[in-house]
Amino acid sequence: MIIALSIVSFLIAYVAILSITALGGMFSEKSGTVALSLEGSMTFGAFIGGVMMYVLPTSIPNGLAALIVILASVIGAGLYSLLLALACITFKANQTLIGTALNILSTAFAVVLIKQMTRTEALPVGNSRLNFTRFYSIFNVDLFGIAGVKFNWLVLIVLALIPIVYFVIYKTRYGLRLSSCGENPRSADSLGINVAKTRYVGVLLSGIFAGLGGLLLISMNAEWEFANGASGFGFLALAVLIFGQWKPLYIFLGAFVFSIFKTLSVVYPSIDFLAKLGISSYFYLALPYIVCLVVLVFTSKKNIGPKSLGEPYDKGKR
Amino acid sequence: MNKVKSFFFSLLKKESTKTIVASLWCALLGLVLGFIILLCINPKEASYGMTSVLGNYLIFSSPQDRLNYFGQTLAKTAPLIAMSLSILVAYKAGLFNLGGSGQYSIAVLVISFLGLNANWPWWIVMIIAMIAAAMWSMISGLLKAFFNVNEVISGIMLNWIALYIVNGVLTSNSTVWDSSHSESFTISNTSNAFIPSIGLDKLFAGNSIVGLGMILILVTVVVIFVLFKKTTIGYELKVTGLNADAANYAGINKVKNILIATAISGALAGLAASLNLQNGFTSWKLSSVPPDIGFQGISAAFLGGLHPIGVIFSSYFIVHITEGGSMITDLGFSPEVASIMTSVIIYLSGFVLFIKKFVSKHDLKNELNKLSRGKENKK
Repeated sequence: MIIALSIVSFLIAYVAILSITALGGMFSEKSGTVALSLEGSMTFGAFIGGVMMYVLPTSIPNGLAALIVILASVIGAGLYSLLLALACITFKANQTLIGTALNILSTAFAVVLIKQMTRTEALPVGNSRLNFTRFYSIFNVDLFGIAGVKFNWLVLIVLALIPIVYFVIYKTRYGLRLSSCGENPRSADSLGINVAKTRYVGVLLSGIFAGLGGLLLISMNAEWEFANGASGFGFLALAVLIFGQWKPLYIFLGAFVFSIFKTLSVVYPSIDFLAKLGISSYFYLALPYIVCLVVLVFTSKKNIGPKSLGEPYDKGKR
Repeated sequence: MNKVKSFFFSLLKKESTKTIVASLWCALLGLVLGFIILLCINPKEASYGMTSVLGNYLIFSSPQDRLNYFGQTLAKTAPLIAMSLSILVAYKAGLFNLGGSGQYSIAVLVISFLGLNANWPWWIVMIIAMIAAAMWSMISGLLKAFFNVNEVISGIMLNWIALYIVNGVLTSNSTVWDSSHSESFTISNTSNAFIPSIGLDKLFAGNSIVGLGMILILVTVVVIFVLFKKTTIGYELKVTGLNADAANYAGINKVKNILIATAISGALAGLAASLNLQNGFTSWKLSSVPPDIGFQGISAAFLGGLHPIGVIFSSYFIVHITEGGSMITDLGFSPEVASIMTSVIIYLSGFVLFIKKFVSKHDLKNELNKLSRGKENKK
């Protein structure tokens, strides 16, 4: 029973991580900017949050400390994503290139600074692993009071955000304007919408959401190796976004499908009949990515993404 | 004097010069930012740290050591050139190869088995590794051509799949896996699979990792250069990259071109693995993220202005500062400072277009100034 509940708890957390990050990416892509740097934004959010969890003194009460950590992650990742906006929207740079650069930069930056923080006399270079046991017990509570089943309450924030995102995208003026900038920026511009500004907000939101996803990812653990970045969750979220056809509800469903396989790679040894099969653990690790490729084969034929995705908007061009 | 000036101006107006100037600006800005980070971490040692990063092998006092490490830097440049050519070929054909790491990994798998277990001749191992990587890369190509799957996404997914395949297969074979160091065995210089040194090692204080590979990579650069300059295939690839619809209209087979481009770029990524492993310098290390050479290739390709000759210099530069970066650990800096610098440089190379415009504007201003001055003189 405890095992089953643990698995469910894991699954829900993964669903939350993937859907919040993919929804963030949706804001960016719906406004016309490719969200390749989701992994980088997640890593940066995780890094800022992780550093906060490492340095905050125990004298700060738990609730306030948790709030500081959340805000720091979200703001940090939001600011980081502005680097993408600056290059791709203002300077019309190649979005794939900039996304790649930002993915490498955030990991390198996090590793350098964390190694600097963890330096001691005995360990002159430091290591890229941070330990935050105190916050592990703040963020993770026993589910229904059952000892041994951990539940991260950040998941609740994420689940509450999903209907809000749905509402914003479909029912508000802002959401419609955002989509119009990704579909046809020229006509949006002719109607008096500031395309650049709308796209900046889209990218900023993607950073904020990805930052929350990154924090959720590392706070499920008592320590995190930052050399691994966000261990590929940002890339999976990007696939979830495409699989979900840029629609909030489908994204949630997509996140659910991928999370099942992701969870499997963690928990398969504790499921009897899977453990008996004797298949290499690496197969289960690769499974979410294989499923993702197969799903993309079936969903990519119809090109349904935002029409001007990846194209910088040039006012002077005809 | 005027002649020299006008020559200089005509040179500045050239597209290629603008690219070089813009790339140099990117590199310089990246280095400055790196220096600022070093200053923040440890102000006392920062300038010495920066000297090490920039100097790399030059900081050694004995000429033997210098030559040895210079050879090592060159030998590590060769695979990066191959990888950046892989990115370049795909990019010219309108594809972004983010799957370079995966293609590299698959080639590593092949080299490990054929080189360590079967002990086949080096060139057969190299060719089979390139074919395997090309086939892996063509998965992306096929998905793109027939199912319209974005090659960036499929490339990323294939990176992770390849990572787990290679980790899984290598770690379960004790003949290739050195479990005490959690890495695969390196290819020894007595093995058949070792790329021969053909006497080049003597030039570099006996550093046997420098060898025929250096010549092979230069030949490859020339081949790629000729491919795009002189051949029909190269021309068709370029046209597809510039405007896929126009290419289709002109009767260029899109599917064929996507497959050719992905196959060539995959083979080049495989060559990178071969040049990295078959000189006995490195091996596959157990890691939970795909190898970063695929991403470094992107940096080198763009910093090199997406030109086959340009990537020689940009690859050397990136390896030079990365190697230099690995020497500053004694000062308490982490070697990843170099990777901050390279990623800042790629980020900035996205601005190349803008910087180019700026450079043009600048020399336009100069010209205008000259004109107005000339008028005043006439008065």
